[in-house]
Amino acid sequence: MIEALHFTFIQHALIAGILVSLAAGIIGSLIVVNRMVFLAGGIAHASYGGIGMAVYFGMPIFFGASLFAVLAALLVANLTLHKRHRIDTFIGLIWAVGMAIGVVFIDLTPGYNVDLMSYLFGSILAVSTQDLDFMGGLLLLIILAVTFWYRHILAVSYDSEYAKLRGIPVRFFYTLILVLSALTVVIAIKVVGLVLVIAMLTIPVYIAEKLSNTLWHMMILSGLISALFTLAGLWFSYTYNLTSGASIILVSAASLGLFLLFCKGRS
Amino acid sequence: MAVIEIRDLWFSYEQDIILENINLTVEPLDFLAIIGPNGGGKSTLLKLMLGLLKPDRGTIRILGATPSKSLSSIGYVPQNTNVNTDFPIKVLEVVLMGHVGSRRPLFGYGKEEIACAMGALAQVGMQAYAQSKIGDLSGGQRQRVMIARALCAHPKILMLDEPTSSIDIKGQKEIYELLKQLNKSITVVVVSHDISVILEYANKAAHVNKRLAFHDISNKKETFHTHGNEEHFCEIELLQMLGAENCQSCTPTVTDNKPSEASTWKEKES
Repeated sequence: MIEALHFTFIQHALIAGILVSLAAGIIGSLIVVNRMVFLAGGIAHASYGGIGMAVYFGMPIFFGASLFAVLAALLVANLTLHKRHRIDTFIGLIWAVGMAIGVVFIDLTPGYNVDLMSYLFGSILAVSTQDLDFMGGLLLLIILAVTFWYRHILAVSYDSEYAKLRGIPVRFFYTLILVLSALTVVIAIKVVGLVLVIAMLTIPVYIAEKLSNTLWHMMILSGLISALFTLAGLWFSYTYNLTSGASIILVSAASLGLFLLFCKGRS
Repeated sequence: MAVIEIRDLWFSYEQDIILENINLTVEPLDFLAIIGPNGGGKSTLLKLMLGLLKPDRGTIRILGATPSKSLSSIGYVPQNTNVNTDFPIKVLEVVLMGHVGSRRPLFGYGKEEIACAMGALAQVGMQAYAQSKIGDLSGGQRQRVMIARALCAHPKILMLDEPTSSIDIKGQKEIYELLKQLNKSITVVVVSHDISVILEYANKAAHVNKRLAFHDISNKKETFHTHGNEEHFCEIELLQMLGAENCQSCTPTVTDNKPSEASTWKEKES
């Protein structure tokens, strides 16, 4: 195991795992307390359209995926404000149409050269230096935004009507949370893939929520738990030659099961 | 100057008229009870006063200005505090939300803000719970915290939407005693359906069911003793005061000798 750490791609995988875990912990907490899990799922799958488009036009994948994810987030934010009672229908639509666009673009790309599976289930062992820069930059942005606007984000998340009455621009912060979620989803796709990203954004958060008294405790704890799961998952993946994303999620799910049993045993 | 002044207010959701020709004046240090059936427009009227909704017609003046300009002088306690109890947030943080939007330090909370929030918690008798998670409190305790949050901004008016709907009888009584205490320095407006309790504490009552009937009930104790039980103020008695149109079951005997506003709008109707 130790000799594996000499490989650059393993080092990159570990750094990427930790960066993404911390981002997923912070943003996942916001997604869960704002009951946006389904929205985040829609945005994640819509970003597949961007992946397909980026492949077709030969653009960087992160750029295409981010573009689509952010557009989907803005669309969702707008729909939530104007068509609240129909929001689930629209999310389903964005979810499917995004995927369909991605599939069609990849069909159109001459000389099929993309490993589709790597986007569906992650490719943490193929993280480049640029990927790491992007992940690090986004984590920094998230930390800055959440620290600076912590009390506003807390107020909007806990009681948006009251926040509005106190003069907080609720729409701005709601959109901000969705856009940051979209970008986090994009970097998390690299680690666990499109299909599994929601589990990464929710399982550690669910455990942390039970153990936290404040939102920022929950964010930090989620990040740490997520990092632990990711490293443990990577170890399983390396040792037994399994897909990394699926290993991470199964480690998380098994830990959640144990945690719930432990909680039940105590009460 | 009237604290709240509503003139010729109309409001509808799409095609349905919710409120029709509402007129209402609330004086300083009034304790106004807004009562009426579910779906009658009580909460809508409150939301209009807060500026969360805009009227179709008519005007609302809070301390002489529009609701959105007077927000800092209104303390609002929303309905149903039992939602979102899983949220990881401490009592103190909830109360500090009352400050959001005013001057603040770059990061975190200022010392004065925390002192002020603790003061508001002390006013409602909840300072010992400042560091507790909000979800660990009982419904009544949570309602006190919401009142503290509203007091945090030193409001001139306190507006509460069904403050006792999810609280046991003893807790309800305590909440109303607290409001009575606060009413010494703050105007209180309460939307409620448990008429018998609230009318013990209110000095004005407005019955809202699309239209509004208003009555001064500050001397209710002297006027009504028909049940022999001073502690209990009967709904029928109030409805009689407000006029027969609000009450199908009771006989139309308006005991008041001066023409009430109820009869005023009756005339407008015909």
